[in-house]
Amino acid sequence: MALTQVSSNKCAGGFQKVFEHESTELKCKMKFAIYLPPKAETDKCPVFYWLSGLTCTEQNFITKAGSQLAAAEQGIIIVAPDTSPRGCNIEGEDESWDFGTGAGFYVDATQEPWKTNYRMYSYVTDELPKLINANFPTDPDRMSISGHSMGGHGALICALKNPGKYKAYDATVLAGSYSGPQLDILIDQGRDDQFLSASQLLPDNLIAVCSEKKIPVVFRLQPGYDHSYFFIYSFMNDHIKHHAKYLNA
Amino acid sequence: MDLTGGRLNVIAEEGEQQDFSRQSSTMEAYRAVPEPGERTFQRFSVNTNESLRFEPCEDSCPSPTGAEDGHDDVFDKGEYEDEIISIRNQLQGKVTEMENFAGHLEEIFLTVEENFGRREQHLEQHYNDVLQTLSQRYDERASGLQEEKKAKLESLYSQLLVCGQALDASKELIETAQEIYRCQDKRLFLKTVMPTIKRVEEFAKEDVDLALSTGLEFSTPIADLSDVKTMMDSINIVPAPSAPVINPQLPNSATQTSLHVCWSLFSDDTVEYYELYYRPVLEDVSAENTFAPQESKIKVKETHCTVTDLLPNAQYELWVTATNTTGISPASEKALYMTVPSPPVIKQRECSSCPEAALIRWESGNTNPVDSYTVELSETGTGGAKSNITESIVAVPTCQCMIQLQAGRHYLIFVRAVNVGGPSDRSEPISISTTGTFFYLLEDTAHPCLSMSEDGFTIFYGDEELPITAMAFEDNTFTRCVAILGDLIPVRGRHYWEVEVDDETEFRVGVAYKDADRDSYLGANNSSWCMRHIRTPSRHKYEFLHNGWSPDLRITAHPLRIGVALDYDRGTLSFFNANLEQHLHTFHCHFQNYVHPCFSLDNPGALTLHNGIAAPDYAFI
Repeated sequence: MALTQVSSNKCAGGFQKVFEHESTELKCKMKFAIYLPPKAETDKCPVFYWLSGLTCTEQNFITKAGSQLAAAEQGIIIVAPDTSPRGCNIEGEDESWDFGTGAGFYVDATQEPWKTNYRMYSYVTDELPKLINANFPTDPDRMSISGHSMGGHGALICALKNPGKYKAYDATVLAGSYSGPQLDILIDQGRDDQFLSASQLLPDNLIAVCSEKKIPVVFRLQPGYDHSYFFIYSFMNDHIKHHAKYLNA
Repeated sequence: MDLTGGRLNVIAEEGEQQDFSRQSSTMEAYRAVPEPGERTFQRFSVNTNESLRFEPCEDSCPSPTGAEDGHDDVFDKGEYEDEIISIRNQLQGKVTEMENFAGHLEEIFLTVEENFGRREQHLEQHYNDVLQTLSQRYDERASGLQEEKKAKLESLYSQLLVCGQALDASKELIETAQEIYRCQDKRLFLKTVMPTIKRVEEFAKEDVDLALSTGLEFSTPIADLSDVKTMMDSINIVPAPSAPVINPQLPNSATQTSLHVCWSLFSDDTVEYYELYYRPVLEDVSAENTFAPQESKIKVKETHCTVTDLLPNAQYELWVTATNTTGISPASEKALYMTVPSPPVIKQRECSSCPEAALIRWESGNTNPVDSYTVELSETGTGGAKSNITESIVAVPTCQCMIQLQAGRHYLIFVRAVNVGGPSDRSEPISISTTGTFFYLLEDTAHPCLSMSEDGFTIFYGDEELPITAMAFEDNTFTRCVAILGDLIPVRGRHYWEVEVDDETEFRVGVAYKDADRDSYLGANNSSWCMRHIRTPSRHKYEFLHNGWSPDLRITAHPLRIGVALDYDRGTLSFFNANLEQHLHTFHCHFQNYVHPCFSLDNPGALTLHNGIAAPDYAFI
């Protein structure tokens, strides 16, 4: 599939690039950001997929999360797709911030008029990895998934529905009835996150289920932190290291 | 290029005159045809008259560092360093020996001088005595002779006088008689003739003793020189010997209970046997010690003796006399010898190790102090077979030693005690493995309610309530928190250990400074960091405590085996679920001093320490 490079900036010794392509799943043009560490010039590197939250594009993460230094140090490629199909001209897609554009929720829609384009689950778990592996120096056996907010949910469901596919997982959503190879989940939650206080996020439920199901989770409540990219930035390092432990093993 | 009988282009001109045949056997190992790209070296043979001829190299010169030509072993410092060190040690030992020997030589020199001085003196005196006696006799004889002469002369003189008198008297008589005879006066003649004839008759009756009163010969009595003879003879008699010279103690000649003593005689005396005296040198030399140590004696024919049945690490005073038929020599100087100490005893439970080093502690094994200790280590293969690699650390002043080691090996470590007599036997060894960090628990820090398994790695907090009075608190024990510290080796590197617990155990595990407050709980102060597990009926709770504060964390899978990773350089203390390889939490702190692993049980239960484990890769990412 043809990739068009949209931008390339040298960063932390490697390159932060953005590409565009025609997506067969989503039936529109999609952009994704990819960070290539210095190690990628000579070796195949593992891939860390990052799923952003509501209203984000591929830009927010690469400009605000501060992941490049840690990725360069650990020799990991980071791929951050957009959060939904764009420009599909579906009625009502721009009506609310948490539904439609910028709110793919990383699921495959089952109803009209959404189901033709809104197939972010398949995009993230199928088309995108194939594209990345075909065009970049990746180690196809080593990939992990992570995300923030809606993306955290997305990461979890992708991991739980594809046992063994992802080597490390992050999520802020309820676990399902997972049965597969052992997970090791790290979750950070800002204590001052307005969504938490509004009970839109329910980590206790996740923890309860995981405790019962013996799914190993370490959940950290970080005092003073909110929902923003400042929060993401602060703990990005810990998360990349957590992934590196498995990706580089 | 064919070098056997061929010509080298470079020195073609000379080549015409010289013989290039290489059939001579002096050029050993010379390759006939060098491979392309291979180097040949400049060589010249020393044994033939071609010795000054050089062949240039085929290719470039050999590399100055040897790196490119593969002959690296010349620059391999490793073995040579060891050799150099051992040679240096040998030389140092030799220097000490020589210094001792020089000192001893001085002593010998002085003794020889003394001995011969004495012999000279003795001889002089001897001969002087003889001479004196002889001259005395001479004087006596001479004066005796004089006396005799005088006596004889006197008697002869008196005889002479008498004769003279008699002569005079006869002369007078004769004159008188002649006068009378010549007298013309007949009357006078008749008057005097008769008395005169009477006088002459009387006189004639007198026998003139013409015998000499004394003999003309002198008597020559036989001089009684027997005593002089005895004296002369005694010069030839062997005198009593001179004092021997006792040697200073030779290194490595003593054992724990015996001393090997040598001495020498520096004169030509004949000796029948020697007697070696010895007595222990007691420390207590106070005046009230009237009981002097007993001296013992050994009779020996040789000039050396091994004295046995002695005490270890003890000083003895020794001296020796030599005896022959004439008598006993004076005693030699007293020498001080020392028996070798008893071997030390390594305190197995007070030793600790990590991949780079081991800390060994021991008891002296001797009641009196020794000079120093020597620590010996040898590497053993994994099968327990001893290799020949042995290292010694000498002059260790105290009963502990930190030894640098290499990671992932097995060692046997021995200690010897050393005094002037030499080194003791090896102690019993301790086996050290430099896989992971290994330590025992510090029993003297344990809260009285804590008991320990026999192997020292499991602690129990029993159900029984001990009354406060029954609890023996010491200075170092925890008083509230039922805790104990571990004896981690003081090396600022990376250390990893694991703690095994069960589902119910309420514990605190982490690290603390040695001076952490014994009256407070682990994690409640700023000198301790720990992971705490609290069990409620519905769930597990976890805290990571330092200075009383903990982050808010949930852990869904209860760890039954906790990995603790301490990194001094990075200033981190991390906790893991070792069974799942899951990271739980990391403290970041610059540890000012050395820290000790700490463990406590908040409720009755038990936990087991596992160490000597190589840190897993994820522990120190």
